[in-house]
Amino acid sequence: MPQSNIRADLDEELRNAPVEPLLPIEKKLIVWSLSIGLALLVVLGAINHLFPATP
Amino acid sequence: MSNAYLAAIRSPSAAAPVAVINEDWLAVLLGLLIFVLALAALVHVDLIGWVVTTSVWSSFGNALGTTSKGYAALGGIGALIATYVALTLALSAAAAALKSDVKRFALAFTAVFWIAYASWVLGNYANFAAVTQAEQQKFGISWSLKLTSEGAYIFALVAGLIIANFLPRFAEAIKDAVRPDLYIKVAIVILGGFFAVTAAGRLSLASSLILRGVAAIVEAYLIYWAVVYFVARKWFGFSREWAAPLASGISICGVAAAIATGGAIRARPVVPVLVSSLVLIFAVIEVLVLPFFSQIFLAHEPLVAGAWMGLAVKTDGAAVAAGGITESLILAKNAAEGIRYQPGWILGTAATIKVFIDIFIGIWAFVLGYIWTTHINVTADADRARLKEIWQRFPKFIIGFVVTFLVGLYLALGTPADIAKNVPAAIGEANTFRVIFFILTFFSIGVLSNFKALWRQGFGKLAAVYLVSLFGFVVWVGLLISWLFFSGITPPLAG
Repeated sequence: MPQSNIRADLDEELRNAPVEPLLPIEKKLIVWSLSIGLALLVVLGAINHLFPATP
Repeated sequence: MSNAYLAAIRSPSAAAPVAVINEDWLAVLLGLLIFVLALAALVHVDLIGWVVTTSVWSSFGNALGTTSKGYAALGGIGALIATYVALTLALSAAAAALKSDVKRFALAFTAVFWIAYASWVLGNYANFAAVTQAEQQKFGISWSLKLTSEGAYIFALVAGLIIANFLPRFAEAIKDAVRPDLYIKVAIVILGGFFAVTAAGRLSLASSLILRGVAAIVEAYLIYWAVVYFVARKWFGFSREWAAPLASGISICGVAAAIATGGAIRARPVVPVLVSSLVLIFAVIEVLVLPFFSQIFLAHEPLVAGAWMGLAVKTDGAAVAAGGITESLILAKNAAEGIRYQPGWILGTAATIKVFIDIFIGIWAFVLGYIWTTHINVTADADRARLKEIWQRFPKFIIGFVVTFLVGLYLALGTPADIAKNVPAAIGEANTFRVIFFILTFFSIGVLSNFKALWRQGFGKLAAVYLVSLFGFVVWVGLLISWLFFSGITPPLAG
């Protein structure tokens, strides 16, 4: 298939794609992932501080 | 998107033969073969000492040599030819196993090898690579770019970029041998043994680094992915089908993650393919910028720099090789200040982080696949995400890395002293092949990076979300996480 057609197809798809609002499950995934990540950041950071690397 | 376009990407020719082995397992076999051949030196049988090695040079006659003095009679050019012949034979056999056209592969590989290695030799020219005043005096030069020996990878990358962007027909002609994934996987398998020898001297430090690496990548997965997915969906209005592979490609590990996520959420094949092409282009930009940035700002936090390369630079090849360049630049800067760190630790940290990221790709893809097939695009039971997909998506070359690491560690620590003392030299011979596979990787990444793609219609929006997420968030959060877990830890001093 010619490159120009491929480009036009991609362009058309991205421009005309219907808006998909965030579903509750997506919001849950984002919030849970971030929350666990930030909580672990504090916990692992504290462990890292309490048990420094042995040279 | 038109059906014809999808068909063009989706369906290989009906007559296309099925490979007997996949690229991952092939990389394990090739890497282990080189590793085992190198270990023969432990019983005083030098099987691969003829492999070519390059030194920093001002007179071309001194540029090339053999890895082992036992093969010195071969001379530098002889070693180069022997290396080319051996690699062509081994990789042509690999191409046959992958059901590629062996003749076309061998011809293409000939061009890839000679151009890539010529770039490497050029990058080792004293005016580019010499670092210290003593080296400059030794070579009789008054100035140097101080790019270090490993900075020559950049020359291979630039050679590839020139071909991709100015000689597209030639790039197309050699594409059969432009296989950065295969080359870097072989290199990573060999790297396991090299890292073992490095770690053997400071096992507790190595264990600490490994545990910190796990912590760092858990953080990266959980924080990176959620934010990039939100940005792609909310700010840029991408559909779920595009946003999930984009988020994985930008935030986790580039090509492999985009493809794994695309498969897991049952996206059309075109989606991860297009995301992957962007990943490569941005990885090139990162490799050209971040190691030098590290040398300027992180020279006194070498392991933060190594971890940062593993977390921030996408795709295995670019990240691990960026770790190599960063190591070389930082060691050189410290050496100029009179601090001589043991080599191997910065590269080892970058590689370990990348390996852990790769291990978790399958698990993360399964989590996404489960959510998508049971809550978003609810599918028939037969098409639901299943646990066995974790193993199917597990990058098998990591098994090779673990095997060479454990064997190397056993040989260095668990064998009698007269054997153990020969282990670094034996694995050093394998490591010379690792360097050559790095060169091939860099060159191949360059050849695949056609910057015109960024200007293609439709790519602008994909590139924009990538640019905003990568340089506005991922790179800096990666630095923060690396700092949190690795600051204050320095590699052992040399000698």
